[in-house]
Amino acid sequence: MSFRRRIHPARDGGYEVRLGAEERALLEVLPLRLVSLLEDVGDKAPGDLPDALRRLLPPAYTTDPDAERSFVAMTREDLLEHHRESLETMSATAKETRLDDDQIAAWLAALNDLRLSLGSMLGASEDETEPPSARSHPAEWIAYLYLGGLQSELIDVLEGTLPDPVPGADDLVPEDHWGEPPGGLRWDGTPQPRDQ
Amino acid sequence: MTAISSGSTAPTEVERPETHETAVPELPWLVIVWNDPINLMSYVTYVFQKLFGYSRPKAHKLMLDVHYKGRAVVSSGPKERAELDVARLHQHGLWATMEHSE
Repeated sequence: MSFRRRIHPARDGGYEVRLGAEERALLEVLPLRLVSLLEDVGDKAPGDLPDALRRLLPPAYTTDPDAERSFVAMTREDLLEHHRESLETMSATAKETRLDDDQIAAWLAALNDLRLSLGSMLGASEDETEPPSARSHPAEWIAYLYLGGLQSELIDVLEGTLPDPVPGADDLVPEDHWGEPPGGLRWDGTPQPRDQ
Repeated sequence: MTAISSGSTAPTEVERPETHETAVPELPWLVIVWNDPINLMSYVTYVFQKLFGYSRPKAHKLMLDVHYKGRAVVSSGPKERAELDVARLHQHGLWATMEHSE
């Protein structure tokens, strides 16, 4: 038995989407919940955001509050609009069997946004073992795993549509800027768990 | 650049400041992507290719640096360029910050 992709390129352009009714219902409703959460964000600093939103609006400057404030003032509205548009597009097209290039790009972004939101809220770990919060939020945990599977399939498809690499681009950043591992720190300076 | 004529004397030569000594290059800003437990490895590799035009092996190597070392420099340049790259990475859900090169 061969594995049938749920999303694959259509012969005459665009993408064909084969999903069950329950899947489509989920993809219609979940994005709108996140859109409504995004309504109250304003210009709040990342540290003042709820877990479900923190990863959608990360800081650019971690040691310079003034620079961070002006970065937020300059970019926050565009970033929120980008999240909203992707989520609303996925919700509005959740029942379609054909998607165009822009819609499929919105699906990829929306799936990632939903996973970032759910995963942060649940305290998901790298190896996808069940976090303690999964017991109190079983529906969110199952949705998180489901969305990851669908996103992974979509990336497999979209990788084939990337343009050729830009000549010389690879040489613009050093292979390994710091040389040695930096001691495994996260952005906020907390230690990162050792990966085996 | 120097351009010395082969003539023996140059009485009319005008003294000019050495331009290469006056140009102090600005230190570049580094755009850093940090590891997080949620983004899929294949997604991070895809985004590096899409946003920066890196080859797949280069994008994959940078993704592995993020995953195993906790962070990787993914682009560098003047402040405005770095801010634009950080904003584009944020739009794609990646955990990007910027700092001045040391």
